[in-house]
Amino acid sequence: MDGLKYIGAAIAVLTGLGSGIGEGMICAKALDGMSRNPDMYSKLRINMILACALDETTGIYGLVIGILCLVL
Amino acid sequence: MDFSNFFDCSWEGFINGITGEIWMSFFIMGLIVLIAVIIRLMYIKDDPLAERKGIKLLLETAIEKLENFIVEIMGKKYSFYTGYFFGLIMYMMFSFIIGVSGLPNPLVSLVVPLSMATCTFVLIHFTAIKANKFRYFKRYFEPMFVFFPINLLSMWSPLLSLTLRLFGNALAGYTFMTIVYYFTRALSSMMFGGGVGQIFVSPLITPFLHLYFDLFSGMIQTLVFAILSMIWISQEDPEDEEEMIKLSKQETI
Repeated sequence: MDGLKYIGAAIAVLTGLGSGIGEGMICAKALDGMSRNPDMYSKLRINMILACALDETTGIYGLVIGILCLVL
Repeated sequence: MDFSNFFDCSWEGFINGITGEIWMSFFIMGLIVLIAVIIRLMYIKDDPLAERKGIKLLLETAIEKLENFIVEIMGKKYSFYTGYFFGLIMYMMFSFIIGVSGLPNPLVSLVVPLSMATCTFVLIHFTAIKANKFRYFKRYFEPMFVFFPINLLSMWSPLLSLTLRLFGNALAGYTFMTIVYYFTRALSSMMFGGGVGQIFVSPLITPFLHLYFDLFSGMIQTLVFAILSMIWISQEDPEDEEEMIKLSKQETI
């Protein structure tokens, strides 16, 4: 039964799925905005990186839970 | 679990209980205090009208940029938070930079991000109580009295979210770098033999990964931590929002 914790960790890391889709949508929309309005390029890029970092959070939660599953 | 260490009150047991990350945390704090004292001493004989150059120019530009940023996000009356956020950002940047050298990054230990998030958490509730007085306690019974347990739980979400974001990012970088170091060591000893032959491959691969996982990712997470703290602290004050609504209405008229 000890091996079940590895399966639990693998399931926890699946949160990366949603986080990846979200990051893709953020980048797509930001590129859309940049190509429509190239003057806003620098402002949009900073906000895009910020939004990506915020979006990454859910994936990081999954990672932390996965590591806790393995360690504890 | 073995709890015998908790009741060991001697100095030896206390010092043995401190991990390497916490020693690095003390080192970084000492370094920042030392730099601050040296810079303060430089400003004793200072002509305010003289031309700025070197470290003074760098520092004054950084503080001015940060203050403008805080005024932009939090409003004019919160500009006194510049010192707190400058200290926070300096500490996090130093921790991530020290992770590049191979010394342990303090943020990998859960205690350090937790204590930083606790500072912000206390500031959030302090600001809320100061702004709302007794109306502050009304929020726990918001729609109905029955929702009290749920509101009590959701009170802790900023703390948990700030802590785990920073801790998870630092831990992810640390774990990944450890795996890569093991891999490159095994690869190198396969190619050049054991002993000294273990060290040849990793300098070719790891610097770029350090650049991403420690510097780029670390700076972004520092920025996110600071911005989220600013937003959470400033949104507790309802008067500010009313002013903003008034201003926006005036602009539209």
